[in-house]
Amino acid sequence: MFDTVLLFREALYGALVIGITCSVLSTYVVLRRIVFVGAALAQLSSAGIALALWLSGFTAFSVAGRYPAAVSLVVTLLGALFFGLGGGRRLISSEASIGVAYAVAAAGGILLIAKAVHGEAHDIFLQGNILGITRNDTLILLAVSIPVLLLHGFFFKEFLFVSFDQETARTLGYRVTAWNLLLYFTLGVVITSAMQFAGVLLVFNFLVLPAVTGLLLAASMRGTMLWAVASAVIAVVVGFFLSVPFDLPSAPAIIAVQGLLLLLAWLIRRGRE
Amino acid sequence: MSGTLVRFDQATLGYGRQAVLRDISFSIAEGDFLGLVGPNGSGKTTILRALLGTHPPQSGTVTVAPGLRFGYVPQRDQVDYAFPLTALDVVLMGRYDRIGLGRRPGREDREHARHALEQVGIGDLAGRPLRNLSGGQRQRTLVARALAGQPNLLVLDEPTNGMDLVSTTQILGLVRDLHERSGITVLMVSHALNEVANYVERIAMVMEGAFRIGSVDEIMNETVLSGMYGIPVEVSAFQGHRVVIARRQRRV
Repeated sequence: MFDTVLLFREALYGALVIGITCSVLSTYVVLRRIVFVGAALAQLSSAGIALALWLSGFTAFSVAGRYPAAVSLVVTLLGALFFGLGGGRRLISSEASIGVAYAVAAAGGILLIAKAVHGEAHDIFLQGNILGITRNDTLILLAVSIPVLLLHGFFFKEFLFVSFDQETARTLGYRVTAWNLLLYFTLGVVITSAMQFAGVLLVFNFLVLPAVTGLLLAASMRGTMLWAVASAVIAVVVGFFLSVPFDLPSAPAIIAVQGLLLLLAWLIRRGRE
Repeated sequence: MSGTLVRFDQATLGYGRQAVLRDISFSIAEGDFLGLVGPNGSGKTTILRALLGTHPPQSGTVTVAPGLRFGYVPQRDQVDYAFPLTALDVVLMGRYDRIGLGRRPGREDREHARHALEQVGIGDLAGRPLRNLSGGQRQRTLVARALAGQPNLLVLDEPTNGMDLVSTTQILGLVRDLHERSGITVLMVSHALNEVANYVERIAMVMEGAFRIGSVDEIMNETVLSGMYGIPVEVSAFQGHRVVIARRQRRV
């Protein structure tokens, strides 16, 4: 069984990078109650890939088809900018604008793929194929993840303050909108890079479940992040060891393990109280 | 720092093209203990934002003394108690602007934070998770955070909102003690005139675009308050406490 898993070790490393990076950011996603912003950005990222593939059918825009990740990044960052600036809450509620973005991006992605050249063949871009991650892909993921994690480590106190109490941060001279945008941009960049390999469902899982697990087990921000990362790592490793030899789809297997870990954390918390 | 800390000069405040308050002028002097009172939606928060520099006036000026440091205590519901933070973690945030970007709190910051917790009477709760604190303890934590930054002007936004009688009395007593002991200048924003009037030294009232400021004696006056509220009111004294009551209207 171990040998079978070793055949996919590059995929395992890539999934670990995605899991670790998303789980650190998930702490802010869950605590700031922007869980569905994460889902909407993942869907926008997916729609961006679909847009690039559709555009590739036109001679004038064929270059877009060669760089789907770049088109996806632009679309996702535009979404991050929109949500980071309040999501048009002066006219409609934030929840509604997130729902609109999610539904339109999901439908748009499907429509664009349906009309793209060899659309069915490209569907894998939207679903993700975690087992298809190569060493080169892992290096790309690391090139995105390491700067994001360093940024979050360096500005930990700033991200924490503007997430916890924006009004007071503003009175102490913090540029709250700029910090929010930076947080949303890092989220957008990570989602875009992860989406191409992991798909919407797995990315969304990593943006929510690890932080909830961490919050159930820890009493501090750092503790929450550490537990979130640990749970994501366990979920990826166990999910791989279960899915590869038993021919199960890897992403749902990882999510199932992550869900069980969350349940375990909930039971531990109940036991403590 | 001495003299006037904040001065509003013919300031018109509002949002977009709509003015909420026009041409208001007043100042807050060092050592002042001012209550800013008015019903919800009257413009208290707008004045507060102009004072804190987060919302500039449409016209006129709001001037703060050079080097003035605000110690801001937000409304309790602006803070999310689900965050996994201890009371000490929260109080340390009051030092963040002194610490600088990307740097961690040091020993001196922790000493200031612990001292602030002692000042508000919850030094023993430093390591307690925020979510496990009572409403009154949470409010004290937020006051301690404001004090940890060593402010010249303590600004409290509806500090007793949603609190029971005991907690309300304790928080108002705490703020008055801080003012009397350390001489810190205080601006307390509240919609509850009866609560604030017995603690502060001056009152600024805002109501439906009108603004009036004066000593407690000048404002807690039946003629002034009836004019501000637009209904006849009575100011009664009970064991040294003043209470404003709306006069019962006779049935026609």
